[in-house]
Amino acid sequence: MTAFLLALLGVCLLQPTLVPRLAIGGIQPDLFLVLAFALSLSVGAEMATAGGFLIGLYQDTLSGAPLGLNAFTLSLIGFLVSRLSRQLGTAQLPARFILLFLAGIVSGLITLLVLRFFQVHRPLSVSFFWTVLPAAFYTATLGVGLLAIPKLKTISGANW
Amino acid sequence: MTRLLLRYRRTLILSSALLVSFVLMTLQVRSHSALTDQTKRILLTSVSPFLHIASVSKAAAVFVWNEYIDLRRVRRDNHLMKEEVRQLRAQVGELRETSLENYRLAHLLEMRSHAGVEAVAVKVIGKDVTNWFRTILIDRGTNAGIDRYMTVVASEGLVGRVVDVSALSARVQLMTDPESAVGCLVQRSRVTGVATGSQGGTVQIKYLPQMADVTVGDRIITSGMGGTIPKGIPLGRVIRSSRPNGALFQETEVQPLVNFSRLEEVLVLKKPPANDLAW
Repeated sequence: MTAFLLALLGVCLLQPTLVPRLAIGGIQPDLFLVLAFALSLSVGAEMATAGGFLIGLYQDTLSGAPLGLNAFTLSLIGFLVSRLSRQLGTAQLPARFILLFLAGIVSGLITLLVLRFFQVHRPLSVSFFWTVLPAAFYTATLGVGLLAIPKLKTISGANW
Repeated sequence: MTRLLLRYRRTLILSSALLVSFVLMTLQVRSHSALTDQTKRILLTSVSPFLHIASVSKAAAVFVWNEYIDLRRVRRDNHLMKEEVRQLRAQVGELRETSLENYRLAHLLEMRSHAGVEAVAVKVIGKDVTNWFRTILIDRGTNAGIDRYMTVVASEGLVGRVVDVSALSARVQLMTDPESAVGCLVQRSRVTGVATGSQGGTVQIKYLPQMADVTVGDRIITSGMGGTIPKGIPLGRVIRSSRPNGALFQETEVQPLVNFSRLEEVLVLKKPPANDLAW
């Protein structure tokens, strides 16, 4: 639990200060998604959902998003990743990369659909090809790299 | 009953999380509820002190890193020369940084006295954490008298407006945010429109009639319509203008005067000026 809260605090500090410097063509990786993903790999679906919800609330607070948007997305992703990782097996890096990439795409699509539901219209195809896909790829690349670091690996395998 | 709850606990937790998120979104988007503002304020306040510390630590880390690089470069020189070079470089770096900061702050102060408005100079401590919105975090909040909907400017022109405030920090919606809409006018021909941001980070002027006199290079300023942003603040210059057949309005694209990727200090206008601003 302490490790999770420390990791959440770290992400809250890194994402608005350091991560924008890593942006390529205006697209930045999403460390909140990486954290929710790492949590989902190591705990059950209940904790992954609750953790995703809390991570999402902080992401909403630190962005211009309406409160609940990322909480909605990350609780769903936490649940799905936790269930899928049990069935698929995600010990190998390529499997993790694919799952995180898919999680990024699902996150983007849910965001687009929820925004559309609340009459916040974004061009679907342009947003998908120029924001969702590159962001998912960038997040998956960076996320898998981070999870491969031995110490982080230990943390993600430990009890949160 | 307990067995049933335990059996479906995963579905229950997921449904609850989704339902609460959805209710929070609905409350904020549809009714601008005080509950969501309060929740955001509490969460923002819980990380604000750490963000301040991180901002200071980042500057220190950059300084230490630069020092390390400098030292490696002069390692081959003798000890005295190395020491002298290191000291001189450190001094030059500090002076250059101070000089640049002075230049930026002098611009802001000059603008504040020129505009004759009550304003507070603030530092940018963070940027939006998603790819969907364009906002920045500033290092002052309600403790410095900053409130929602206050206008934020840089020496070049309009930056945006304050949308969320906590005691120690505030969030500013940039004019390039897709949800931003600012009343504007073409300075030369006085035609009015609405400047809106976009997903790609550009600014478009909407509702300019087909016959309106707009050409590439025209300067766009705020119109003061809507009452929240004062009149006369520069927005940008027209870089593209077209009149599609059959459309009611022109399609006009504007290059903002402010470089949003390099914002370090900005000015929050605490009270709108009595007269129009002359930039």
